[in-house]
Amino acid sequence: MSALIDDYLAGLRRRLPAPVAEEAAAGLLETYEHHLGTGAGDQEAARAAVAEFGDLEMVAGEFTRQAPGRHAARLLLATGPVAGSCWAAAMIGGRAWTWPVPATARLVFAGVLLLAILALLVAATSRHSYQRTRLALLASPVLLALDMTAITAALLAAPALTWTLRAAVAVSVGRIALNACTLPRLTTR
Amino acid sequence: MRADAQVLKGHLDTLLLASLEGGPRHGYAVKEALRAGSDARFDLPTGTIYPALRRLEAAGLVSGTWAEAGGRRRRMYELTPSGRRRLAGDRAAWRDFASAVTALLEPAR
Repeated sequence: MSALIDDYLAGLRRRLPAPVAEEAAAGLLETYEHHLGTGAGDQEAARAAVAEFGDLEMVAGEFTRQAPGRHAARLLLATGPVAGSCWAAAMIGGRAWTWPVPATARLVFAGVLLLAILALLVAATSRHSYQRTRLALLASPVLLALDMTAITAALLAAPALTWTLRAAVAVSVGRIALNACTLPRLTTR
Repeated sequence: MRADAQVLKGHLDTLLLASLEGGPRHGYAVKEALRAGSDARFDLPTGTIYPALRRLEAAGLVSGTWAEAGGRRRRMYELTPSGRRRLAGDRAAWRDFASAVTALLEPAR
């Protein structure tokens, strides 16, 4: 096989995770074989295949922009303003600072939430690094656990089940369901 | 993408689904079907077909399986039942849209 094809395949494998690179590599080899089938010589077919397949950075970038992790991160971030507003209203209305929750637990919760949001932001805005989109795979279960923790803590510690708290719990339950649907797709890709 | 890039961008998913309506195809055959079916107007860089197929696969509209052919593994793509439903919906929406635009641009004299 031509060194040109080998170099391109090596470039794909450096930029993309193995299963994705394998899929792209199969595509390049199909293109190469198509040109060999038209009677082109090895070098000529390799040049035509690489030109037709597209610039390596552009192809790797296209895989990154369409990565399931990037899509899932954007979806989860989009729920942030609604969930944040609902929980803020429920906590201010229910005077959450008087709830019997240890200060350390509050700080750990806030810190982990901040890290999860940062990881989702990196995954959602990645344009050239497929690996960064996979941060969604880490942040997604963390966000799921945070939603479950928030619901449990609020139901146990809040003195009354106000309508704002019910709304916040409903939004978190919805996000848990969304997370449960998207997570299996992330683990296989 | 040599022509009609912006127009094609909004309809790529539907066109990819339509290219698989006749049965399973590998990525290069999908690309060729788009090119041949559009009289060479939609000639995408082959490397951009695979990310799009992968996204459709993640959305459950297409299923991809590895098959052995000529001593080499090839990824074959086919429509899922949900992909067929999406294609039927997109096709109906396109017919409505196209007939409305045609009525406006070419009014009966």
